[in-house]
Order: sequence, then structure tokens, then C-alpha cells
Amino acid sequence: MNGKDDRKFDDDLLERAAKLAAPVAPERDLWPGIEQAITVPRKPRRSAWNGAWAQAAAVILLVGGSSGLTYLTMSGARNAVVPTAAEAPVLVFEQASANFGSQYTLGPDFQDARSDLVEKFEQRIENLSPEARVEVLANIETIRKAIDDINRALSREPDNVLLQELLINTYRDELSMMIEVDGITGAAMRRGDI
Amino acid sequence: MKKVGIVVLSLFSLTTALAEDVNEIMDAASAGMVTISNVAGTVEVRGWSRNQVEVTGELGSKVEELIFERDGDEILIKVKVPRHNKGGISSDLQVNVPAASTLQVNVVSADIDVSDVMGEQSLESVSGDIETAVHGADIEVGSVSGDIEVQGDKKATRSRMTTVSGHIEIDSLSGEVGAESVSGDVSVVNGSFRRSALETVNGDIVFHAGLQDDGRLDIETINGTVDVKFDGDVSARFDIETFNGSIRNCFGPESVKTSQYAPGRELKFTEGDGSGRVTINTLNGSLQLCK
Repeated sequence: MNGKDDRKFDDDLLERAAKLAAPVAPERDLWPGIEQAITVPRKPRRSAWNGAWAQAAAVILLVGGSSGLTYLTMSGARNAVVPTAAEAPVLVFEQASANFGSQYTLGPDFQDARSDLVEKFEQRIENLSPEARVEVLANIETIRKAIDDINRALSREPDNVLLQELLINTYRDELSMMIEVDGITGAAMRRGDI
Repeated sequence: MKKVGIVVLSLFSLTTALAEDVNEIMDAASAGMVTISNVAGTVEVRGWSRNQVEVTGELGSKVEELIFERDGDEILIKVKVPRHNKGGISSDLQVNVPAASTLQVNVVSADIDVSDVMGEQSLESVSGDIETAVHGADIEVGSVSGDIEVQGDKKATRSRMTTVSGHIEIDSLSGEVGAESVSGDVSVVNGSFRRSALETVNGDIVFHAGLQDDGRLDIETINGTVDVKFDGDVSARFDIETFNGSIRNCFGPESVKTSQYAPGRELKFTEGDGSGRVTINTLNGSLQLCK
């Protein structure tokens, strides 16, 4: 339709409307529904944090946290001792996501460092007793479930600083646990006679 | 059935017969370092007034040897077992050390029990439980699945405890404490702290102790509950937040919702002159705060 056709359509419509005997009332009051539909919901309140501050905090947490996590991983890895050759089949770890809410992901340095640590950790726990290994793996799963839970919550509230802190700390917990297990079992392995 | 019982009994008797008693002693520095490692069984360490280290106990039948040697101020006690062992390596050691010794114990599936040692301690176990008493010296304890129990004498120390699934119980330590567990509970009772950092993923956290002026208490858990009760007066700024838990506060101020859409709550207030700081964060865990 061109502009001329549009005008003709509008004129016809107005002419027909003018011929109506009475205004057509809706069967029910539609306004509340319309109002609800057009009102932009207010963002959830974050005490003392407006959106800009929260975004800045997220970036600081992400950069600082990610770097810290990477440092933690690498410094722990430096102390790691190559374990004795494992006889049992190598366990396969599912890569946990390195998501940070729905808007960010942890950087490639972190992911590389984490992958290295996971590899060493997989070898190390081969030397644990079956019971201890099951226990360790169950706890790794516990941490990864917590990471998933926080990530899910963060995807709903991406500006939530509490969730951001909990997430970065839980990622750190995962690394700490792997380093800790590596250290404790490594101390036993360094005995060189078991 | 009777025959089987006799065979089992005979095997048991044979194993017992092959186990070797140990009873050795050597001179040691009054405040040197004693390092002990054992794979399975128990390690009991006692501090005593002599400048000697004594090892008694029983070695498993498959143990190759007990290494007991001195290098300067350091004493090494190590149960040497075959590289590929199938049992018979469980060894029970009772070790007396000069009370001021620095102690380092590494075990795999052995329990560790330490008392009357005044020097620093570093204790690690994969699956055994660890129980120790601390007398004003720093301590570091780590286990994978074993429980940790530390008894202090309220003298200031720096202490750090970590487990994966074991529980951590700390009684009457003071100074600085850090305790972390993934699924185990963490409990700190008595004592007075300048710095305390407690963290779990699923484990519950209890802090029933004092917070010194300018002291700091940081607690974080994902799914565990938090129970804080201060001994004596506390002066601190409180900053508490939970994403999905409840907050019960005996100090007075009520928590408020952080959002009209989410169940989160936060609580900020100052008690006394606010010289210290208390921070508690949880995802799903509920918490209570009392004095």
C-alpha cells in the first residue's frame, strides 16, 4: 500500500465509525491488563549498588577474581609433584562450565590453568583408596552443583553482587580443593615407597 | 563352619605373630623438628621433658623397615612399606618427642593423635582422623575425608584447618583461625579471635566464641546453616546477606529483603563502636546471630 491508499483506508474507517449508533464498550475492563503489560518492571533493588556500580564490581571481581584464581592454580601447580604412574584406568572429568552468570565467562588464562590442574588432579586421585576417591569425586560434584546453582541464580539477577562473590569464591573453592588434595596425597606419594 | 573359623583364627594368629614390635630411642634437639610418616594404622605423639625421641609400637607384617634417623636438629621416623602392597602394612606408632619440638606428620589412612607438643604442628592425613592439642604455637591441619579435632589453651595462635568431607571441631583456640570444608561441618567454640575465616559449601558452620576489638569474622557457605553466638561484648559492623535463606538476629535490627522479586535478605548494623567487622554470606543457608 502507498500513502494515498493509506489515507483512503483511514478515511473509510473513520466514516464507518461515525455511523455507529453508540460507542462499543468492551465486555470487561481491559485497562489493568494493558497497564501491567506496558509497565516496565522495576529492577530488583540492590542495597547501595546501582546498576553501574554493580557492573563495575562485576568486572573488578571478574578480572581480579579470575587473575587470583589463575595465580592460585599456577602457584599450587608449581608445588605439585608428578605422581607415580597410575595403574588404574584414567578417570574422565566432565569439564565444568566456567560461566560467570549469563553475561560473562572466566578468561582463557583461568580455563587453561584450571585444565592443567584438573589433569594433575585426575592423576593424583588415582593413588587414593577407592573409598577416598569416591568421597573426593562426590565433593567435586558438590562444588560443581553449587557453581551451577549460583550461575542459574545469577542469570536471573546478573547484577547481584552477593551472587558474584559467592560464584568467584566457589570457583576458588574448587581449585583450592584440587590443590589441597594434590598437596596431601602428594606428601604421601613423596615418601617414594608407596 | 568350625573349620573355616579355625583357619581364619590361624591366619589371624600368624599375622599377629609376624607383626614386629618396635622400641627405639635416640637423642634429639630440645626444639628440633620431628617428621613422621606412616601409611596405615595410628600415630600417637606425646611431648615429654627429655631431649630424646622414643618410638614404640607395632609394625605391620609386610613393612620393610622403620626408618629412624637424625640429621642435625631433624629427626625422621618413617614406616617404609613395599611399593605395591596388599595389606599387612598397618602400623601403630607411639612417639615421644621433646615438648618444644616442631612436628610434621603425614599419613595416608592412619589416625593422628597429638598431645603436649608445644612447637608448631603440620598434620596431614588422607582418610584418617586427626586429633591434637595446641599450646600457643601455629598449626596447620589438612585431611581429605578424615575429621579434625583441635583443642587449644586460649593462647593466641595462627591456625588453618582444611578438609574435603571431614568435620572440623575447634575448641579454645585464639588469635587467627581459618577453617574450610566442602561438605563437612565447621565448629569453633570458646576462645577469642582477632581474625576468623570460616567457609563451607554444604557444611554447617558454628561460631560460639569471642571477637576481639578490631577483630574480623568472615563466614561464607553456599548451602550450610550458620550459627553465630558471641562470647562477651562485641563491637563490630555487621554486614550479612543471604540469597535464599532466613536471618534471625538477637541483636535487634531486623533483616530486610534485598529484592521484591527474590527471597534474599540482608542485615547491616553496628554494635558498640563498630571497631570490628563481621561479614556473613550464604546462598541458601539460613543463619542466626546471637550474643
